Amino acid sequence: MKQRLRICALAAFLAFCATSGQAQTVVIVNSSIPSSTFNVKELLDLYTLNKTHWDDGSRVTVFDLKAGKAKQAFYDYIGMTEEDLQRIWLRKQFTGRARPPHAMSSEDELVAQVGKTIGGIGYASEKAVRGKKNVRIIAKLKE
Amino acid sequence: MRQPNGIRCLAATVLSALLFGFFGSTRLSAQDDGGLQLFGSMQTVFFHQESELRIKDPAIGAELSGTETRNSFAMQQLDLFLRKEMGSDFTAFVDLEFQLNYSSEYGWGSLSLQEAWMNYHLSDAFNVKTGLLFPAFNRLNEIKNRLALLPYLFRPLIYERLLSRKFFAEDFVPEHAFLQLHGSIPIGDFFVDYAAYTGNAESSYITRRDAEGNIDTDINPGFEFLSGVDPTEFKLKLFGGRFGLRTRDESVAFGMSFTHDYNNLRDTTRYPDYILSQSSRQLLGSDAPRIRLGADLSVRHGPLFFETEVIKVIYDYEKAERLQLEIEQSFVHGMVGYDVLPALTAYVSMQWGDYTFGIDSDYYVYSFGGAYRVNDAITAKAQLIMYEEGFKENEDAYADNYSQDVTIKFVFLGFSILL
Repeated sequence: MKQRLRICALAAFLAFCATSGQAQTVVIVNSSIPSSTFNVKELLDLYTLNKTHWDDGSRVTVFDLKAGKAKQAFYDYIGMTEEDLQRIWLRKQFTGRARPPHAMSSEDELVAQVGKTIGGIGYASEKAVRGKKNVRIIAKLKE
Repeated sequence: MRQPNGIRCLAATVLSALLFGFFGSTRLSAQDDGGLQLFGSMQTVFFHQESELRIKDPAIGAELSGTETRNSFAMQQLDLFLRKEMGSDFTAFVDLEFQLNYSSEYGWGSLSLQEAWMNYHLSDAFNVKTGLLFPAFNRLNEIKNRLALLPYLFRPLIYERLLSRKFFAEDFVPEHAFLQLHGSIPIGDFFVDYAAYTGNAESSYITRRDAEGNIDTDINPGFEFLSGVDPTEFKLKLFGGRFGLRTRDESVAFGMSFTHDYNNLRDTTRYPDYILSQSSRQLLGSDAPRIRLGADLSVRHGPLFFETEVIKVIYDYEKAERLQLEIEQSFVHGMVGYDVLPALTAYVSMQWGDYTFGIDSDYYVYSFGGAYRVNDAITAKAQLIMYEEGFKENEDAYADNYSQDVTIKFVFLGFSILL
């Protein structure tokens, strides 16, 4: 009986770990972006549209999700709310400084677009990124 | 007078070199969107206005008063924006603005090109913007006509286009510039913003109204170009800049601004009799060197936000000094807002303006209101405004202590719509 309980507990733990692994949110860029890792400040600058060009001079194209857990995890990570970002994006757009992020309906769509767009950056769950071509993970969010 | 061929050749060579220098380095790469972005905003309002005027004129022993009520619907403003990214380094931007039920058929409102510029991006720290542009002066000037970004319907007095002829907005803020160097430099948790710009002399040097109120653009008949270009010499042009500091999440922003240009006191049509006494009219007739100084602060902490700006306009005008007349202008605006709900913002604001120009005028505006975001594109707005204006002649300089007080209450209701 005790052994069965231990097996059940182990199975539950493994299931929890597996689930946690799936929920891991990652930040991805198009593989054209030179190899680098990004800290929170740099991601914040990219998503507040303060950094509009990569170091090689190409334009940054930002992708965002319309909704979802990955979106919430990413916003929490960079310390911004949706309202904060919308306000900043609108000001940048209406003063001609930058184009607001492209809002995608699904993580698969976002990953595909980042893969297709030179200079593209976005975020998604690690599961949605796994095995995808032309994208590279530059940050894993601390949970 | 026609320019000598040598000067024309030189101008053409310089222009060609600039164009080649800029466009020759354009890098068209695969990420170029290439598409023209078209977006815009409009604001439609209903307003109710109750005005009360009291005049006291000891010279003729009269005390007068009157009241007036107005109600009107209006398409307050519609802006269409065009933006195009050209290669990695260049961006073009156009803002076409229609105001107040614009109709060329009836002569209502106005249609104007508010901005049309090209930006060259060398790095985030260094950009060159050229064309018709809103210069960086305090934080509000760049977005003064972006009504969808503002929670209120009726802007602070000096930015409110409905009152631009009453308040001589250009006395307080530079309306347009034509060349601006600007950039942002990240330092620690902050961005340091800077901008330096130049532009034409104030608009009254380019156009004014004749005695019948008609637009007169032929100020200098000897000037061979079309109307709309600045016939003044270089020293009368606008020069200015802004230095700012903001946190990387843009929750706190602070800046200091300045400009130097000239107030066209030759244009007496700008000053109706009730604004200037006969004595202070002696100030008119020449160019008054003008310095605008500005400071702005914006703070947001969660749902609470605060915005303020101060503008001081001073003159280095020998004629005024000789006459011992003080001329200066001030403006202070403060607003505190709170996001009661994610979609609902409430705010209170207060403004004070001072116009000392022979007479001493003070303006106070108290306002409160709310903005409810119906969805991502539509915001319903309501605003109650109490406007008080009082002016009297300087008692030291004038015998007749004329005074005038105006009180106006406004109720504004409207929708701001993103297109």
